Amino acid sequence: MGPERAPGLLAGDTFNLRLARRSLGLLALCLILLPFADLAVTTHDPWAELGRMLDGLLRPDFLATESLAHAIALTVGFALWGTLLGMLLGFPLALLFHRSRLVRGGCAFVRAIHELFWALLLLQVFGLSAVTAIAALALPYAGIFAKVYAEILELTPRAPVDALPEGTGRLSRFAYAELPMVWARLAGYTRYRFECAMRSSVLLGFVGLPTLGFHLESAFREGRYAEAGALLWMFYLLIASLGWWGHRRLLPWLALGSLFLLGPWPDVDATLLWRFVSVDLWPRPLLEGDWTGLWRWLGDIPDLLPAIGNTLLLGLLGTAGSLVVALLAWPLASRHFGNSITRVMGKGGLVLMRSTPELMLAFIFLLLLGPSMLPAWLALALHNGALIAFLVARHADAFTLDGPPLTATGRYAYTLLPRLYDGLLALLFYRAETIIRETALLGMLGIATLGFHIDSSFAYLMFDQAFFLLLVTAGLNIAVDAIARRYRPRETSSHCDRRVPGDAAC
Amino acid sequence: MRWLVACLLFVVSTAVLADTFRFTAIPDEDQSRLEERFDKVAAYLENALGVEVEYVPVKSYGAAVSAFRNDQVQLAWFGGLTGVQARRLVPGSRAIAQGKEDAEFRTYFIANRDSEIDAQGDDLPKDVQGKAFTFGAKTSTSGRLMPEYFIREQFGAPPKSLFSRVGFSGDHSRTIALVESGAYDLGAVNFKVWDAAVADGRVDTDKVDVIWKTPTYPDYQWTLRGDADERYGAGFTGKVRKALLDMTDPALLASFPRSGFIPADNDDYAPIEDVGEELGLLR
Repeated sequence: MGPERAPGLLAGDTFNLRLARRSLGLLALCLILLPFADLAVTTHDPWAELGRMLDGLLRPDFLATESLAHAIALTVGFALWGTLLGMLLGFPLALLFHRSRLVRGGCAFVRAIHELFWALLLLQVFGLSAVTAIAALALPYAGIFAKVYAEILELTPRAPVDALPEGTGRLSRFAYAELPMVWARLAGYTRYRFECAMRSSVLLGFVGLPTLGFHLESAFREGRYAEAGALLWMFYLLIASLGWWGHRRLLPWLALGSLFLLGPWPDVDATLLWRFVSVDLWPRPLLEGDWTGLWRWLGDIPDLLPAIGNTLLLGLLGTAGSLVVALLAWPLASRHFGNSITRVMGKGGLVLMRSTPELMLAFIFLLLLGPSMLPAWLALALHNGALIAFLVARHADAFTLDGPPLTATGRYAYTLLPRLYDGLLALLFYRAETIIRETALLGMLGIATLGFHIDSSFAYLMFDQAFFLLLVTAGLNIAVDAIARRYRPRETSSHCDRRVPGDAAC
Repeated sequence: MRWLVACLLFVVSTAVLADTFRFTAIPDEDQSRLEERFDKVAAYLENALGVEVEYVPVKSYGAAVSAFRNDQVQLAWFGGLTGVQARRLVPGSRAIAQGKEDAEFRTYFIANRDSEIDAQGDDLPKDVQGKAFTFGAKTSTSGRLMPEYFIREQFGAPPKSLFSRVGFSGDHSRTIALVESGAYDLGAVNFKVWDAAVADGRVDTDKVDVIWKTPTYPDYQWTLRGDADERYGAGFTGKVRKALLDMTDPALLASFPRSGFIPADNDDYAPIEDVGEELGLLR
């Protein structure tokens, strides 16, 4: 599979050959490591439970959830304010991004920690309040906005700046010659991030904040599938109709209106807050300067190395799996293949896959296949693969096909894929960081990833341990991101316009 | 601008509510329509205590403990272990009442028929070794703490080295679903949740059944913050306890679900605390 085994076939130094070698290298690495992954299939009779689930999805009960409207409003409110604050924090940072190592490091750190873990951390101080929810979104988003805005600003065409008279001030130059050139891209990306925020806002319900996810998780966990089905449909509908209700003119009113619902704001107990950041988060031996004690404290942390190994392995499998899913699935949603009916079905399927929280996909596979790394792998691969496929199909639709008519396979292999592949791979490598973050959420399958232990530490109220593991996770994410950046396609071929960077980062 | 000021005023005004007495409760089964059900309990308490009472819906025990610690709720219906956690975090807080069933709570070990584990009298059957096993939630007393304790006591080994796989389903209903489907060979489940599922026909006992019932231990209880008397008037703790013990309306009790409440105090939960420390879940 790897380049070393087929020197004749894949040798050469063209851009596309390098891409092919990288992809095959990724798949080969995945195959080599496969024996270390626990992929047993053990289940006997999942059909009764799956039948109940399907029945719930087909016969949803929209009246079962109390205060549904309130939950929807809060979901939107948290997402809006989280994005807004993230934007306000992120934009100034973006201007410093390429100049300050500190800013880059700080941003990498805040976005390396999953929204849910931010929420769990903030929950200890601000309780179950809007502050927790909004800050849990705004903090990582500030880091993401800083990075992506900086990358967009970097692409500003130079011509208008060069045309300015000598001695134009920095601010005027920025306001009149730089910002207008990239405004549409900045706005486009911010919109996209708002959609991500909607998904994250729902997820926040899983730790107890009163969004749609709160009711969805409870209903699903307790097997009230008619209610869970209704909530899931509601969520799909909310995401799918974003284009209508998420209008630029309407959003400020939604933001203001939602303010009324976000209270009551918590009165933060300053001593408690101080105790949390100065004592609770740190190992006691460290605070007491007891170094041998600190060694023992480290020894008490359960299985750190296997956890890191599991996290990386699942991340790698998830990334390779997403590549395969994306390659197979993107034609389903592209106008170059099939007819209008298959396309609607294909698009619908991809939207369902990418909008369904991974945790639910994982539970369905857990019932089907039994507990192992396999359900988590499939859930990650399907969710992320579908997301990438959707974006790739959109790129593909921008091309017009010329030349002699080809069969579908021919169009796929010879006309479209060569033009799309670098974009696809770039999205995949952007996504690798997110996949690593998401492995954290699948601890319920009994796979001891870092996230599993973080969740346990929070549950046992051992905040020092949780914080340490969060730091390890953040370090790991930053390292993976650095590697992914090194290997993602750098050259941009002329026919593929540079997509907004970080397009697939949610 | 005027709009903004109005918004801000509104937001601020909701924050400075007078000293409302807030409580939270998470039933061990059926968490649907929590607000509707517990608002009735709030109305009952308001009537009995003479202060404004509000129910705060909370999803997980972890969140309940932090709400209790942050003083967002002053009274909480906790599980055995989470109650101990909360009382350690908020010095002076007290267990004041427990359910009639909670003085003698049990865990059932349930197994899938195909796993060929048969009930063997008084002990957990030996053939559970090497099977796939799931707990419930990580800090559940009946789904995690006590089953782990009894497993260690009987086999002298931690679950990890005893079973081929150890999962945390996160919920009792889920444990039942996962063992029924055969995804896990056996699991540990709260006896009340199991009995209710069997009574409602939600579980196929041809596929999954009880293989062992643990000895009894104390579980769920009401815990009240220590500064309650100071804030709501002398004797408030006693009033809360009396209101809980006097609750006889089946419609209210069904929310927990318990047949009634009896007095309890912190010492009743010493065994839970000891086991928690022994297993490294408390420190």
